[in-house]
Amino acid sequence: MTNARLERREDALARVARGDATAFADIVQEHQFMVFSITYHFLHDRSLAEEAAQDVFLRLYRNLASIKSPQHLVFWLRKVACRRALDEVRKLPKAPPASLEDVAEPAGDPPDSDPLLSRGLRRMVASLPEDSRAVIILRYQEELDLAEIARILDLPLNTVKSRLERSLGVLREKLHRWAGGVAR
Amino acid sequence: MNPLEDKLREALRRKAAPEGFSERVLARTRELAGPPVKFWDRLRAFIARPTLRWAAIGLCLVIACSVAYRARQEGQRREGEMARVQVKQALRIASVKLNAARRKVQEINRGAPQSSL
Repeated sequence: MTNARLERREDALARVARGDATAFADIVQEHQFMVFSITYHFLHDRSLAEEAAQDVFLRLYRNLASIKSPQHLVFWLRKVACRRALDEVRKLPKAPPASLEDVAEPAGDPPDSDPLLSRGLRRMVASLPEDSRAVIILRYQEELDLAEIARILDLPLNTVKSRLERSLGVLREKLHRWAGGVAR
Repeated sequence: MNPLEDKLREALRRKAAPEGFSERVLARTRELAGPPVKFWDRLRAFIARPTLRWAAIGLCLVIACSVAYRARQEGQRREGEMARVQVKQALRIASVKLNAARRKVQEINRGAPQSSL
């Protein structure tokens, strides 16, 4: 994190503490992509993901006084976003996940180098069990190390390691089969 | 670097939040904050709840019945006490009268001639 960004985040938290109403807007602006992406990659439904992401920020608004630093803020947002998304996933009926071909991609994102492959991979991630999906999303969307993922998900480090390895194994196998299918 | 991991990074990279997302969040926070509510308004709203109103009516009825029952019991106890006092007084009067009558009978018996027996 650059010093300028860190200072801006600290400034926003300090302004919130002073009762500056615009400071919370700055926090939402800065973290909305992260929170929305976590909920979106879990839920694969834009309206559900937006609802969940809004709830995360509302919860933050109520708990602003407990946020100690910019690093704590990011940790808190990731943790609450994961929990909220997991709750939402568990509420959904246990139907096979919707085909990602049917789901519109959020507008305004830079195009993937191989959109077909990316879409296929997202579908494969969506088919993983929720807990493994959380590990994969935090690892590859948020680029977190395993210790931090363990802290966010309240899991032992070895559990995170084994889930990641198992999920990568499953994804590798699925990708292999998928690539064979596409080539034929 | 593992090629699968690179592909996952690409597939799961952050998405842009929907248009107007932050405005909608801020609108919800404004709803959440709302105007400050006075204590008396909150109390009035609390009292105005129908369940609470029925509960209060029920409680008043129970209290009223209990007070009436206690008052009736107290009245009966007082009447009983009065009756007991009256009986005791009547017995005392009767005893005095009987004693007087007995004395009279004894005096008459002492003054009467032996032959009459």
